[in-house]
Amino acid sequence: MIKLSGIRKTFGKQEVLKGIDLIVEQGDVVAILGPSGSGKTTLLRCINYLERPNEGEVAINQLKVNVKRASKQDIHTLRKKTAMVFQNYNLFKHKTALENVMEGLVIVQKLPKRQARELAVQALEKVGLGGKLDEYPSRLSGGQQQRVGIARALALNPEVILFDEPTSALDPELVGEVLAVIRKIAGEGITMIIVTHEMAFARDVASHVVFMDGGVVVEEGPPHQLFGTPKEERTRQFLKRSIQEWSYSI
Amino acid sequence: MGRRFEFGYILEFIPKLLDYLQITLLIVAASIALGLIVGLIVALPRMYHIPVLKRISAVYVSFFRGTPVLIQLFLIYYGLPELLKGLSIDASKVPVLAFVILTYGLHSGAFISEAIRAAVGAVDRGQVEAAYAIGMSGFEAFTRIVLPQAAAVSLPVFANLVIANLKDTSLAFTLGVMEMTGKSQTLGMTTQHFIEVYIALSLIYFVVSMILERLFLLAERRMLKYQPELAGHTSKKRLLQGLFLPQFKKGGEQA
Amino acid sequence: MKIDPVFIWTAFVKLLSALPMTLFITAISVGAGLVIGSIIALLRIYKVPVLQHLAAFYVTFIRGTPMLMHLFLVYFGLPALIDAVSGAFGWTFKSSSVPILVFVLIAFSITAGAYLAEVIRSGILAIDKGQLEAAYAIGMKTPQALWRIVFPQAFAVSLPNLSNSLIGMLHGSTLAFTVTAVEIFAEANIVATTNWKYFESFIAAALLYWGITLLIEKAVAVLEKRINVYNRGGVA
Repeated sequence: MIKLSGIRKTFGKQEVLKGIDLIVEQGDVVAILGPSGSGKTTLLRCINYLERPNEGEVAINQLKVNVKRASKQDIHTLRKKTAMVFQNYNLFKHKTALENVMEGLVIVQKLPKRQARELAVQALEKVGLGGKLDEYPSRLSGGQQQRVGIARALALNPEVILFDEPTSALDPELVGEVLAVIRKIAGEGITMIIVTHEMAFARDVASHVVFMDGGVVVEEGPPHQLFGTPKEERTRQFLKRSIQEWSYSI
Repeated sequence: MGRRFEFGYILEFIPKLLDYLQITLLIVAASIALGLIVGLIVALPRMYHIPVLKRISAVYVSFFRGTPVLIQLFLIYYGLPELLKGLSIDASKVPVLAFVILTYGLHSGAFISEAIRAAVGAVDRGQVEAAYAIGMSGFEAFTRIVLPQAAAVSLPVFANLVIANLKDTSLAFTLGVMEMTGKSQTLGMTTQHFIEVYIALSLIYFVVSMILERLFLLAERRMLKYQPELAGHTSKKRLLQGLFLPQFKKGGEQA
Repeated sequence: MKIDPVFIWTAFVKLLSALPMTLFITAISVGAGLVIGSIIALLRIYKVPVLQHLAAFYVTFIRGTPMLMHLFLVYFGLPALIDAVSGAFGWTFKSSSVPILVFVLIAFSITAGAYLAEVIRSGILAIDKGQLEAAYAIGMKTPQALWRIVFPQAFAVSLPNLSNSLIGMLHGSTLAFTVTAVEIFAEANIVATTNWKYFESFIAAALLYWGITLLIEKAVAVLEKRINVYNRGGVA
C-alpha cells in the first residue's frame, strides 16, 4: 500500500501542490488526470523524490519517508521500491535495449549477470521487443523506446510503477502499441500510478481515477463514477473539454 | 644565413629527430594524464556549485586560458623554485622535464575542466533522473551513466587538446629540454642547414598530428556506436572546432 | 631570494613599453589572416578546381604543425628564397635589409590565415541556404549576396571563434621572442634577467596578457549581444 499525506511543493513562489493525500492499494491501477499545470506530474515525481516535497510523507508499505527526516538512505530505499516510466523515455543512450533493462538489476539489485540477463530478456519479450535486444535507443522508434522504458521498470519488480505521461511524446500512430503494453501488465496485478491525458485508456484500464486541478485533488473514485457521474463542476468541465477534444481527433 | 638548401639533409634529419619523438610524446602523455586529474578536480566544484572553491576554480581556469603557455612555462620554471625557496624547499635538483610536464599539465587541466563541464552539461538531465529512478546512487549515476556519455561527446574536443598539447611541446626547447624541437636547434646550429631541419621537423609534427587525429576519430566512432549519426555529426563539427582551437585556444564551452 | 611584490608593479610598468609591439603583431597577423582566411574559405566552399585542394592542404598542414615551425620556416626560409631570386635576376636587393618584424608578421599571418579560414568557412556554412536563395530571388548578384546577407550573419555566428583566434594569436605572439623581436614576453625576459627577478617579471607579464585577454572577451561579449539582436527571438 502506498500512502501520500500532506504533500506540498512550491517552485519559487508558486505552490504547485497544496497538500495532497492519496492512498493506493496493492494491485491498484490509479490514473491521475488533470489539465496541464495541475501538478500531477510533480506529484508523481515527489513519490520517488525526483522532486523533493516541501512538506509531507510518502509511505510505501513499512517504509515511511517524511520530508523533514528524509535521509539519503531513505530516498534510496524509496527509489528501489519504485520504478518510473518517463515521458521522454530517458533510456540510457549509450546502452542497448537489453543493457538498459539489465543496468538496474546488475548495479542496484546486484544480481549476477546471467540472472539479470534472463529477467531482462523476459521483460523485453513481454513488451514485444524480444527481437530488438541489441539495438541502441537511437535505432528504435519512440514507441519501441517507451516499451523498453516499461520493460526497464517492470524488470526491477518494484512495488509500484510510476508512469509520467508515457504516451504524450509519441506520434499518434505509436500511442496504441504503448497503451496495449501498459494494459497488458495492468492485468497482471502490478500496482501502477499513471499520469495521462488518454481519457479512454484511463476509463478502461484504471481501477481508480484521480482528478487534479490547481495543485489539489478535486475528485477521485472508480472510473465509472468519475467519468459517468462526476460530482464536482470542475471535473465535469474538464471532462467535457477533453471528450470534445478526442471526438475531434476521430 | 646558413648554407645552400640541400634536399638530402631533410631525409638525413628525419631519423635523427625521430630519436627524440619519444621525449615529446612522453611530455604529451604525462601532461595530459596530469591534466585529466587536474581538470576533473577543477571542474567538480563548478559542477556541484561548491561555494568559494568554485570561485577558485574559475580563476584558475581563467588564468591558464588567459595567459600564453610560454609565460606559464617560464613562470613555473623560474618562478616556482623561487617561491619554494621562500618556504625553504630546494627545487634546484628537480629536472627541467618535470617543470615542463607540470606546466603543460596545469595548462591543459584548465582546458580539460572546461571540456568536462561542457560535456557533462550536454548530457540530458533525464538520464540522471532515470538512473535515480531505478535506484542508483549519485556516484553510480555519475560514473555509469553521465561519464561514459560525456566522454563520448567530448572526445573531439579532447582530441584537439591532445594535438594542441603536442604542438605546444615545441616550446619546451626554450627551457633547454631536449625534445624534438630542442634537437632541431642543435642540428641546425651544427650543420647550418636550418631550413632543412625545420622542414623535417614540421613533417614529423604534421604526421604525428594526423595519426593522432585518425586514432581519435576511430575511438569516437567506437564510443559513439550507440548513436552513429552523432559520430558523423561531431566529426564534421570537430573540423569546425579545431579551427578555433589553434595551439593556443583549445576549445571549451563553445563545444 | 625573497619574492618582491613591489617589483611586480615595477616590471609591469616596464612591460607596458612593449605592449604596442604585441598589439601591433597581433592586429596585423589577425587582419592579414582574415583576408587570407576569407579567400581560402571561399575557394573551399565554391570547390574551385585544384585550388580547393591546395587550400585544404594549407589549412591542414598549418593546423597540424606548431606555430613555432611556421615562424622558423619563414624566418629561415624566406630570406634564402629572397636572396636566391634576387641573385638570379642580378638585383642588389638583400634579405638582410628586410626587418625581422616583417618575417614575423608574414609567418603569423600564415598561421592565422589557416585557423581563420576554418572559422570563416564554418560560419558561412552555418548560414541557411535559403538566405542566399532569397537574396538571389530579389535580384542580388553573388558578391552582393555574400557581402550583404551571408557575411554579416556568418560574422555573428563565428564571433566566439573569432575571439578565440584573436586571443590565440595574442598568446602566440610571444613566440616572436625566439627570433629576437621585442614584444611583451621578450621584454619580460630582459627585465627578469637584468634584475634577477624572474617570478615577479613573469607574473607581471602574465597579468598583462591576462588583462588583455579578459578585455577582448568582454568586448566580444558586448559586441555579440549587440550584433545578435536579431537572433533573440520572441516578441519583446
